[in-house]
Parts: sequence; structure tokens; C-alpha cells
Amino acid sequence: MEVIDLIKRFNLTINIKYFTILPLRKSQAPLRTQEVHIRRAGIDIGSRSIELTIMDGETCEVTERFQAETSIDLASQLRNIQDSYRWDVLVSTGYGRHLSQNILGGETVTEIRAYATSAHHFYSEIELVIDLGGQDTKALLLDPCAGQLLKFEMNDKCSAGTGKFFEMMAATMGLSLDELVAAARRGEKLFEINSTCTVFAESEVISLLTTGASVEDIARAIHESLLSKLVSLLSKVMKADAPSVLFVGGGAKNSTLVALLAEAVCKKIIVPEYPEFFGAYGAALLAKNTL
Amino acid sequence: MSHLTPLFNDEFIDLPLKRALGQVVKRRETGSKVVGAYCSYAPVELVWAMGGVPAILCAFSNAPIGKAEETLPTNLCPLIKSSFGFIELKTCPFFELTDAVVGETTCDGKKKMFELIGKHRPMYVMDLPQCPTNKGAVAYWRQSVAGFKEFLESEFHMTITESAIEKSIQESNRKNSLVEEIFAFGAHDPSIITWQEMYDVATFAVVSNGSETIAKLQEIIALLTDRREKGQYVSKENAKRVLITGCPIGGDVLKVLKLVDEEGATVVGLDNCTGLKPFLGRIDEGSDDPLMAIAKRYLQIPCACMTPNTGRFDQLKKQVSLLKPDLVIDLVLQACHTFNVEAVKVESCVRNDLGVNYLKVVTDFSTQDLGQLKTRIGAALEMS
Repeated sequence: MEVIDLIKRFNLTINIKYFTILPLRKSQAPLRTQEVHIRRAGIDIGSRSIELTIMDGETCEVTERFQAETSIDLASQLRNIQDSYRWDVLVSTGYGRHLSQNILGGETVTEIRAYATSAHHFYSEIELVIDLGGQDTKALLLDPCAGQLLKFEMNDKCSAGTGKFFEMMAATMGLSLDELVAAARRGEKLFEINSTCTVFAESEVISLLTTGASVEDIARAIHESLLSKLVSLLSKVMKADAPSVLFVGGGAKNSTLVALLAEAVCKKIIVPEYPEFFGAYGAALLAKNTL
Repeated sequence: MSHLTPLFNDEFIDLPLKRALGQVVKRRETGSKVVGAYCSYAPVELVWAMGGVPAILCAFSNAPIGKAEETLPTNLCPLIKSSFGFIELKTCPFFELTDAVVGETTCDGKKKMFELIGKHRPMYVMDLPQCPTNKGAVAYWRQSVAGFKEFLESEFHMTITESAIEKSIQESNRKNSLVEEIFAFGAHDPSIITWQEMYDVATFAVVSNGSETIAKLQEIIALLTDRREKGQYVSKENAKRVLITGCPIGGDVLKVLKLVDEEGATVVGLDNCTGLKPFLGRIDEGSDDPLMAIAKRYLQIPCACMTPNTGRFDQLKKQVSLLKPDLVIDLVLQACHTFNVEAVKVESCVRNDLGVNYLKVVTDFSTQDLGQLKTRIGAALEMS
């Protein structure tokens, strides 16, 4: 392959969006009055995306959702959000939680606590939660009675086995993320990509491409590689008799991965409607407790 | 903290290594030989007995690791790489002051690294039996202790007398019990001693001996007693309490303890080789065979290189009972297989037997994992 082709491919795929970007808009809801419930907000500032949610203070009904790519100038982005949305109380979570607290005020919680909170709130029976984010993967074990977090596991330092891995692999193969996921569904499990390290896996993928392996089978192997990481993490907190796993984070939108995970752990995998908002939901729910 | 009298009210506030260096330099200027050591297994009583001074060699900075990786593999323990890099770069002032170095075969990486640095200084490597309760283990280790004594005598053309050894045993015991007493102040809730102060005390006490040291440690106990009586706290009320166990820590890996501080929690104990561990246990005094007495005490040090290592669990139980932590952080340095595997048993002991939350952190001296560590430590504290 010519270098220029690679550059073209890279340029074509570097702006892959893993998520739909919703327009930033002014809240329509009226100002807080005696009659109106207070509004609590949760913001999750991750490595790849920001999610903001606003909930009704009493009913916990989600009234607003906003999502954007995390920008280089996060401070300006947060001020922009502050100008566009209104809330009475806010909790920040995710990697940018401390900067967010400095700019937007309120409290901070770790995303682990946020996920545990939202998982228990929306799925009170759930014991196992897995979050596949942009640079982290987390597995949580909850006590379904009280929703208490009993144990968690998380990748140590590098982003091997995270959403970033899929993005990079798709870029290597000149595919969009959706195309990679679709190709994997058609592929067969003929060989393995042993590395979840993005750099090493990239060279494995390139080697496979040069041997004439099909794009579908390579896409499948990429999924299997990440799957093994998820299963390993989950098995560290696993409760054998838990019937289901709640899969959240942007990675849960990968339908092929969800199907493979269900097969691998022999459990029902629950993917909520907006899996990437569970960090923000959890933060908003915890904002309730700070009132 | 600003309203408190510092435990060390000298020009080395917050610079415990410079203080230790000052102590070594002072002794060297009066003619003492300097013997470099890397590990708690080094029987420093023999160094004291010959009128020498031990120096703990630099091993906790990320800075020399790049240099070390020109020679050593990348996926090696950062402590070994750092130690080696310091020597290659000649940036460890302690090593530059040494007249000899003692090492122990605690782990494979270290013992082979000793071969590489042996060209720089006269070196004695003590073969450490790693099944300490097996028949003959103590007797074999006594031979290593005796071998170290002979090495010092021959290297420095002197005789180390039994009475000198006996005297340094007594001084060590006295010193160690005072250090233990200082660490026990960690039990107070809210805290009255910070982890930096515990680390300062350990760093000071490991290279000093004699009446001045005893007086200083007693002064520290008086200061801490005063804080307790006046209710001068170094942590907030209801701050979450953390006990650190695992590999030795210092320098750049103190990042983990700093993150605990940032999360508003308080470190109440350092159960490792740069904390309380080297000061535990006493050497039999007045025995017929002081070298055997030394051998017995050192072989009881509960390092993960030993199997079985029951002493570590006994000690953890005592520490948890005394300090009442909400969370135990098991700090494992990358590629330290013994501590990493032993963590399975430590987790079970802490969670199931002691009912305390547990977090294992595998890390190195770099800053690459600060974000993840902050989240993991924060989440573990939220749970506790």
C-alpha cells in the first residue's frame, strides 16, 4: 500500500465519532420556583466524551441529555455548558471532575461510584456492571439489596482493552467504527490477535492484512481480543450466580461485542438505551443526596 | 500543620534523605567507614559494631531509569532499575560515599544486579534462605551473617568484637522499640502524625544509632504526646484511614500516598520496609552467640520473598487492630512477583478475616498512571 493511501485512510477515519453529538442548546425549562422541582445535574467528563444530564429533583426523570467530544480546551467547553444549561445542584465525575468542580462548582465523585449508583437506581436487581469507556474499562460487583459497591476492578494504566482500542483498530483498517462492528459480525473466529496493546495489535492487524486474511475475520479477531480483556476483568469480580450483567459506557453500543460477551460469560447482557450516560446519571443521582 | 512543632526542627524539614546524608557525612568525617545497603535484611548491627555507618542507597527515583534501561530490561522492578541507574550516572550521593556495599539475595533481579555493580565497590552478597522455617535455615543464614562480619574485618583490617556486637544489639533494640512506639501514635483518631513524619522517622532511624538517636526519638515521642494532649490533629475528623502495606516505598512512588492525601484521607501506618517493618522484632541480648541472635531476628522479617511468610499476616492483623484503617492499600512495584502473588493471600486476609476494604495497586515510579490511580484510590475510599 502506498504511503499516501495510508495517510488518506487515516485522515478519512481519524474523525470517527463513536457517538451522536447532540446540539448544545439553552434549557427550555423555567427557572426554579416554589412549584417547580429543583434540577440536579450530573456531568461525566471522560477522555473521549462529555455527558451532561439534568434530572427532575423529585422524580429522577431525565429531562436533558447533552453529549460532546472532550475538547482540548476543556475549561472553555465547560463554561460554554454552564452558559447553556441551568441546574440547581451538580456533581461532576470522570477524569475531568476536578477541573469541572473548579469551574462549575458542586461536588465530585469517582466514576466508579457514579456507575454503581446509576446501575442500582435503574436496575435494582443488578450485581455485575461492566463499563467500556474511552480509556478505562471497569468491572463492578454490587450488593443488590443496598446498591453498595462491594468490589471493583479497573485497568491499571494503559488504555489496552478500552474504547480507544477499537477506534485505533478501525483506523488501521480504514473502516468506520460501525463498519468494523458490522464486519466482525460477518467474520469467523479463525485466528487470534493476542495483544490488547493498541500499538502491538496494530502491527498484528497489518501482518494479517498482508497475509490476505479477510477484513471480516480480522474485525472478528479484534473483537475477540478485547472480549478476552473484558471477560478477564469481569471474572475478577464475578459472582457465579448473578444472572445478568449491565453493560454501560460507549462500548456497550457495539452490538457485536455485546453478543460475544453474552456468549462468553453465559449471562444475559443488559444494555440500557443511553449506556454512555450512566456516569452522568450516577453523578446526578448523587447530587440529590447533597441537597 | 503549620501550628505544629515539626518532629525534626532542623534545616532538613521535608528533606529526610538530605538529613540522612548529613548523618552519614558527619560520621564519615570522623573516620567511620560507610557501608551501603539496599534492604532491611542487612544486619546493620555489625556495621555499627565496627564503628561504621550504614547508608541506604538511592532506589526510588524515576530519573535514572532511562539510563538503567540502556542495560537492563524494561519490564524489571523499578527499584532495581533505579538503583542501577543511580550508580551508572553516579548520582546517588550515598553510593559515592560508600567504602563497601552489602546485598542480599531477596530476589533474582537484585542478585544479578549486584553482580553488575560489584565492579564499583567491594561487595558482599548474603545468601538469604527463603524457606525461613525449614530445618537448618537459621544456621545457614548465620553463616552469611558471619561471612559478612569476616568481609568487613578483612576489608577494613579490624576485628569486630563480641562485646561491640552485643552493645550494638542493645542499642538497636532500644532504638527499634522507640520507633515502634512512634509509629503506634498512628492509632490516634484523628491522626496526630502524618505519613511524611513516619517516613522521616524511619529514614532517620535506619542510619543512626547511639545515645543521640535515642534522645532524638524520645524528643519526638514527647512532641507527639504533646500533640495528643493538646488535641493537635493532622487530619480532619472522620477522615478515612489508610494502612499502606507491600513493597518498600519512597521518592517517586510516594505519589500513591500523596493521592490518598488529595482525597482527604489520612495514612495511619506504613507496614513496609521503608516504614515500620525493619524496626519490628528484637534481637536476643546477652546470648552466647550474638551472630545467631542476629541471624534469628533478621530471618523473621516478613518479606514476600519468604515462603511461608506467615509473619506478614500476623503483623497485618496487629496493625489493623491497632490502627483501625478503613482501607488497606497493597502497593506492589511492577514486576515484583513475590509481593504481586502474595497479594492474593493479603486480599483474602484483609477482606475476609479482618473485614477491611482492600486495594491492590501495581505501579512504578513514573507518572503515567496518576489519573487511573486517583480514580481507583478515590473509589476505594468512597466505598470504605
